[in-house]
Amino acid sequence: MSPTTSSIVSAAGESTDILAIANMPVLWICAAGVFAVILIQSVIYMKAARKAAPAAEITGPELKTAFRSGAIAAIGPSLAVVMVAIALLAVFGTPAVLVRIGLIGSAAYETGAASIAAGSAGAELGGPTYTQNVFAIAFFAMSMGGAMWMLATLILTPLMKRGGTKLAKVNPAAMSIVPGAALLGAFIALGVAEVPKSMIHVYALLTSAAVMGLCAAVGRSRKRAWLREWGLGFAIVAGLVVAYMAHTAGTPVA
Amino acid sequence: MSASSISTPITAADAESDLAEFDRTTSRWGRLTMIAGLILSVAGPLYLVFFTGLDISAAQLWTAFAAVAAVFAIIWIVEPVTYFPILGPAAMYQAFMIGNISSKLLPSALVAQTRIGAKPGTRRGDFAAVAAICGAAAVHLVSLALFVGILGTWLISIIPVDVIDVARLYVLPSVLGAVIVQAILTIKQLRITIIAVAIALLVQFVLLPLVPAIAFLTTGIAVIGTIIVSWLARDRKPAAAVEN
Repeated sequence: MSPTTSSIVSAAGESTDILAIANMPVLWICAAGVFAVILIQSVIYMKAARKAAPAAEITGPELKTAFRSGAIAAIGPSLAVVMVAIALLAVFGTPAVLVRIGLIGSAAYETGAASIAAGSAGAELGGPTYTQNVFAIAFFAMSMGGAMWMLATLILTPLMKRGGTKLAKVNPAAMSIVPGAALLGAFIALGVAEVPKSMIHVYALLTSAAVMGLCAAVGRSRKRAWLREWGLGFAIVAGLVVAYMAHTAGTPVA
Repeated sequence: MSASSISTPITAADAESDLAEFDRTTSRWGRLTMIAGLILSVAGPLYLVFFTGLDISAAQLWTAFAAVAAVFAIIWIVEPVTYFPILGPAAMYQAFMIGNISSKLLPSALVAQTRIGAKPGTRRGDFAAVAAICGAAAVHLVSLALFVGILGTWLISIIPVDVIDVARLYVLPSVLGAVIVQAILTIKQLRITIIAVAIALLVQFVLLPLVPAIAFLTTGIAVIGTIIVSWLARDRKPAAAVEN
């Protein structure tokens, strides 16, 4: 053991006690920092908008109304994200879930990235091979992926501002195929990779897909549109409930 | 408060310079805050990797990042390009830090624009969108801090251990099942969906058993394969019409 090894990291990260390392104070501080940055950004933006409001032919009260309607519209989707985040707490710990799933990224990309990163270390997310080392590798890869998104935004936004929407007009056929193919290819391949793991994985996958499909179908009517936002949360919980039942049915009661 | 509601007649030149000032402020501070967010978001994992005595090699980190990049690199570029015309430059720096753009921020902006009768794409529309996203951010930060940050730790402590174990083991297939359905419904391209399923099955059950060494590259191979086959098998008629 190296002398720098802290008390919570045992045997150089071979321990599977993920939460001991995932909830370290430093990570909490970084997560709080991201919260603060977004808060500061919002305050600066609101101030700037209020100052230039007359020039944009919008009134102060109208800006306030827009702020309030945006806030109200976000309640449903935010609580849906909260539900997904809680389901993922046991895998990533609170600070990582707050920053990666709650802010910057999303459940789909981040769990996908984490699973790919764990796989590259020969381990499986959440399984017996999911050690502190693997968590750190997965968290690193997720965060670097998120950083690439921000980097692309930082580089491309000024370019597009100057060049209008020229970038999107380069090749309309490619723009209509490549992003869709990349997304579908990624998530379907990740889903198929779950199939050989165990029958319980298959049950969870199919239940979640079925519940999501149901939510989307029922959510088609305008009155039940809220179901579309909650679909992901409901589907994950349903998948976990079925997995729990299959898991406890499969293990003999001691 | 009342100062903002006093409508003083302003000249076109004043309006021009006020709007230019808004653009300057939002692009300067939008960029600075985003860089700060970027640094903070990678500081945590870097600390874990380098200062806690974990036994991780640089090669492992690069391999993991390369595997993730093989899958998502295209999306990193495509997403900002796609959302720029809808969000406008100022809101770009907000949206890509707050996240959940299509399911939360765009609907919020749209609701606000409808509420005050501002057309998207106009200055009025842009300002309504910025204010709506600020409102959405406030709600999102509060609900995350409260229900996940504060209550989440407590929830984890009262939930039985075997429930947490099951969540840890099976949360990935439970997320992916729903995400696949969501992706299929959003993209609405049956041909590409079928190609993606066929290639994923081929890679997982034929290629991987033949060449087990590619284990960590399978998703990347499936993504690149799906793009290439979808491109070759595309419906050429409408594409030809666009070219003319």
